[in-house]
Amino acid sequence: MRRAVGIGGLRRKEAERQALSKKGNELAQREILQEQIALMKDNLEDFVRDHQKDIRNNPVFRVQVQRMCQLIGVDPLASRKGYMSEILGVGDFYCELGIQIIDICVATRTMNGGLIDIEELRERLVRKRVRGSEPIIEDDIKRAISQLKPLKGGYKIVQFGKRKIVQSVAREMNLDQSKVLTLAQHSCKFNMEDVRIAFGWDVDRIIACIDDMLRSGIIWIDDYNSTQPEYWVPAFYLQFSNRNSF
Amino acid sequence: MANTFATSAAEGTSSAFQFPEIYSFPPFFSRQPNEATWREQRRQWCELILAYYKHNRLYSMSLAEAATEPPFTNRQIHRSLRVDVLRELVDELVKQGNAVWTGAKNTKDSCLIFWRKPDVWASMIHQWASERGMFNTVLTLFELTNGDDTVGQEFHNLDPTTLRRALDVLQSQGKAQLFVGTSDEDMGVKFFT
Repeated sequence: MRRAVGIGGLRRKEAERQALSKKGNELAQREILQEQIALMKDNLEDFVRDHQKDIRNNPVFRVQVQRMCQLIGVDPLASRKGYMSEILGVGDFYCELGIQIIDICVATRTMNGGLIDIEELRERLVRKRVRGSEPIIEDDIKRAISQLKPLKGGYKIVQFGKRKIVQSVAREMNLDQSKVLTLAQHSCKFNMEDVRIAFGWDVDRIIACIDDMLRSGIIWIDDYNSTQPEYWVPAFYLQFSNRNSF
Repeated sequence: MANTFATSAAEGTSSAFQFPEIYSFPPFFSRQPNEATWREQRRQWCELILAYYKHNRLYSMSLAEAATEPPFTNRQIHRSLRVDVLRELVDELVKQGNAVWTGAKNTKDSCLIFWRKPDVWASMIHQWASERGMFNTVLTLFELTNGDDTVGQEFHNLDPTTLRRALDVLQSQGKAQLFVGTSDEDMGVKFFT
């Protein structure tokens, strides 16, 4: 039986047409959006290409460009072959920085047990990079270190109170050690009595903690006063970059 | 020893010796119980000793006496290295060929510090003899280190014992012949190509 074209049918058709047109609009809009993003990426590419030198030489600008990249979903560091990292030169920049960080950490490890103040590290990096006039900021060090993760060398930034310390050995600091190091953050040293007063631990616990840290080389003993030796944290105290060193 | 700081001090000028940062780190004067840390500490001390002795052109050390003076005492932070620790350091320098024990056997109370090894002195002296046409001529040892001909040479005023060591090296290479005189100062030497 042939169905007459009724008012209901017309309405249905109209609804279908509208739905299709809505879908079409959505598709068109998505296309436009994709085009826009592609355009933005192109623009960003041009921008980065034109300002390559500034990006390399100006750390603040470098961070801003990176934020911009992140906002539109481009991570210049994500892939080594990524076009952004190639153009930005940031791949090279952080890779190079990472290698220099490893260099410094390894060279100073026997002195400091693998702990180095981030500011000390930064100054050493700046001194190391004499030729290029690229200033290094803390943020650069953080990025370079996060890139070192795949190497599984244990590189990370740890904090003791206000001290930001780059750790370069795969060793977990236990809570007691962290507490004692935090206690020594300003004076760079402590003795058993200081620890007892601060935390109320018994002698065995304090000795165990100190022995652990001596063994791993993160503290040095000063037994000038033999009845109450003092323990110094080279990572807090030593600033070789400021003076002559061998 | 390849560090910038040692070369800048090489002229033996009267400019003040510049101590490294670790010199004001009090535990540097206590022997570290951790073996790896101690090796690093010892390495830094050995470099410091050689640089300091070179800067001040010092050759011999009496350990007990030296321990009370710079570089083994830092008066600013009131720290001194113990003599037994200093003895360990000199043992290491001896092992490297940068020192020899002197004085009574096995007492290890005094030593000579070779901030330049005898064979290096030897080639310097031989070089000089070659340049000045001093081959096959007898010179007294005193002339060699204190004579007008060697003014401005690195080995001018060289300590006699170190000089003897250097000449021994040349003699063993057939590049010099030593002649015994009536006294040590009368001793002579003849150089060959």
